[in-house]
Amino acid sequence: MIFCRMKRISFILGILSIALMSFADDVVFQANAPKQVVQGQPFQITYSINHRAGAIEPPEFVGFDFLAGPYTSSSQSSTFVNGKFTSTYQEQYTYTLRAQKEGTFTLAPASIKVGSKHYNSNGVKITVLPPDKSDPQPAASASQGQTQRQTATQASTGNGDIFVRTVVTKTKVHEQEVLTLSYKLYVTGLDVRGFTEKTSIPDFTGFFKQELEQKDIQFELEHYNGRNYQVATVYQTLLYPQHSGDIVIPAASFEAIILMPNTRRRSFFDDAYVQATKALQAPSVTIHVQPLPSGKPAGYSGGVGHFTINASITDTALATNDAITLKVEIKGQGNMKLLKTPAIDWPEGFEAYDPKVTNNFKTTASGISGTKTIEYLAIARNSGTYILPAVTFAYYDTEANEYRTLRTKEYTLQVKKGAGDASTPAQVADFTAQQEAIKELGTDIRYIYTGELKPAEQRSSLTAKRSPMTFMMLFYLLPLLIAACVFILMRKRIRENADLTRVRYRQANKVAQKRLKQAQKLMQANQKEAFYEEIEHAAFSYLSDRLSIPTADLNKDNIAGILRQKGCQEDDIKEVLDVLATAEFARYAPAAGHSLNELYDRTAELINKLENQKL
Amino acid sequence: MLTLFIILSTLFADANQQYADGNYAEAASMYEQVLQENPAAEVYYNLGNARFKQGELAQAILAYERCLRINPRMKDARHNLEFAESRIKDNIRDTNTFFLRKWYLAIRNSLSEGSWAWISVVCFVLFLAGMLLFALSRIVAVRKAAFYLSLVLLVVSALSLMHTLGLHHRDTAREEAIITQGIVNAKSSPDRSGTDLFTVHEGTKVTIKETLGEWCRIHVGNYDGWIRLSNAERI
Repeated sequence: MIFCRMKRISFILGILSIALMSFADDVVFQANAPKQVVQGQPFQITYSINHRAGAIEPPEFVGFDFLAGPYTSSSQSSTFVNGKFTSTYQEQYTYTLRAQKEGTFTLAPASIKVGSKHYNSNGVKITVLPPDKSDPQPAASASQGQTQRQTATQASTGNGDIFVRTVVTKTKVHEQEVLTLSYKLYVTGLDVRGFTEKTSIPDFTGFFKQELEQKDIQFELEHYNGRNYQVATVYQTLLYPQHSGDIVIPAASFEAIILMPNTRRRSFFDDAYVQATKALQAPSVTIHVQPLPSGKPAGYSGGVGHFTINASITDTALATNDAITLKVEIKGQGNMKLLKTPAIDWPEGFEAYDPKVTNNFKTTASGISGTKTIEYLAIARNSGTYILPAVTFAYYDTEANEYRTLRTKEYTLQVKKGAGDASTPAQVADFTAQQEAIKELGTDIRYIYTGELKPAEQRSSLTAKRSPMTFMMLFYLLPLLIAACVFILMRKRIRENADLTRVRYRQANKVAQKRLKQAQKLMQANQKEAFYEEIEHAAFSYLSDRLSIPTADLNKDNIAGILRQKGCQEDDIKEVLDVLATAEFARYAPAAGHSLNELYDRTAELINKLENQKL
Repeated sequence: MLTLFIILSTLFADANQQYADGNYAEAASMYEQVLQENPAAEVYYNLGNARFKQGELAQAILAYERCLRINPRMKDARHNLEFAESRIKDNIRDTNTFFLRKWYLAIRNSLSEGSWAWISVVCFVLFLAGMLLFALSRIVAVRKAAFYLSLVLLVVSALSLMHTLGLHHRDTAREEAIITQGIVNAKSSPDRSGTDLFTVHEGTKVTIKETLGEWCRIHVGNYDGWIRLSNAERI
């Protein structure tokens, strides 16, 4: 019994906790209504709230007939998963309305009070479609539908109607310009359950295709050719034409599964409905693709659409062997997947690596948009100041219908020597390897000068002046002048000397005759020794004067040679030598019987002879 | 003046100590301070060594070149310059010039401008003496010898004068420069849109032929092109 009571208490506690928890949740107050309604047909609008609330204050339903409501319903569910207790509570207020006229209407939000607070729901936008013109004669609409160009197959089954349309956003596009193709299923009065596997969609040759993922197929009401259809998009894709010209997209075929009343029902046990298949065909479409105009700019990326470009760099001041990353972001809408990465013109001295490309694309019915991020990595190998030129990105702008070239700003990169390569510069390493063959191992620069500091030398005095020529001229002209003076003086003296010898030459005979007279006197006085000396003297002095050779340079040994050189006759030379020899001999040996007179005559005769010769 | 020199001497000694301790960057900046007041060959040489040890190849070559401009007979500097040049990327030495011109330049650069001037003047004086001997001597052999000798002396004097003028032009026009940027593309015209003609690397010696705004036309080997003035430094 006690056990039983405890169980009940815990149950009550549990209920309480649910209430508390639900109260702690956020209040969600929502309005739900169909987006499209048909004029004159009733529809329901539902306001739901996840809390117990006071009275609801509905908005004024302008343009709508208020038929009934509100019908109130509430539901509660609790779950206990993995020891965690969750519960939901739902309260709904439903109104039945009817549209008065076609057009688009917005219902104002409703308001409700929870506790002491007021909450507003969302507003609802409702499109009111006109009623079916031929309704309720669906057979008429069948023929109407077939007149449509884009309507291929219609299936009238009973008073129902089913067909597939090919809808393209544009039929006239530029190369690479996006267009959206959708296959739309139009149904009225039939229960379509799906498609069989016989469905075939063309492969869109000539296009780059980007399929759009279909979530659950949702039917919407659409007024088409005077009739209201349940419409669902069964397939949707983005197409980028890859070449110009008329490109035909062939027809697509579908096979729908339809639930139909069993007309052959014979007994109660037969199914009331049977599944039937219906072949449908979406018509083919021709797309007129215009080529891109000529005059593509340099560096055209192949992009068509609308883009912006942005560049950033990790650092502009770096050391050798440092890595640098240039990040280029291309943002926009267009054929993003087909963009070429812009080429970076890295300055010489940078080792560039393959860029890393990150795509962040979003595919929507209007095309692909997003960001393409390209990271260029390079390593600085040399020091210095370099200019990284601007990145250019050219594309065809479909909004302006012209080519546009985008440019980022250029960067100035300062590269310093890295700390790591102080002793062996990086660019040197591989080079020394090449020269190793001719270089002895272990060479290094010689050590610094460790002596005393010497005062800086002044420029050499010779060339210290600004123009060396003018100053140096002195050093050439001065010696030249001195040499010239010396030369002139010396020449003068030589000429004077030459004059003296000529005088002596002319007067040689006179002098010799004088000496001979003196000798004759000595002979008469019988001074033998003085006589011989005088004779010898006379001969030598005469020869000296005639030959223009100083007496001191003449002797018996060289006189013959000189005379021969001067062109003297051999007999005379012999006579000269003989006279000189006799005079010398007699001088040192006076006792010998030499005739003084004879020697005198011979000498006089010899001088006479030489005088007549041209020496 | 003398006190300044004493200060510089101590600074120089300190810089040598920094170099010995391996603080090449400090040593280099101290050498540069010394150079501002006292541009001696030895200081340039030490600066070149410090730059080389830092890995600043272009700056090292520049310092060695400047050192040799002041004292061309400094063997250590020539050795280190050749060593540094063997490490640059461009092997210009092989492709540079006609071999006779290379010899001519090597001979010319082996002495300073002043030395060549003295040699030229002395040879000229000796030539004049020889010519006097030739003109005044009476001995045929002496006259002959004096004539030929003085002719040779005249040629030597003329060549030396040529070297003097060449070096003077080199030092005043300062056409030679060293590439300081790691890698430079020489263009066909003095603007950025010019076609890339050839590539020169750090440390390569080039001749600046003309300048136009911030651009200069360089000549290296058989190549000729425009680079930015800031990418090279004159010796």
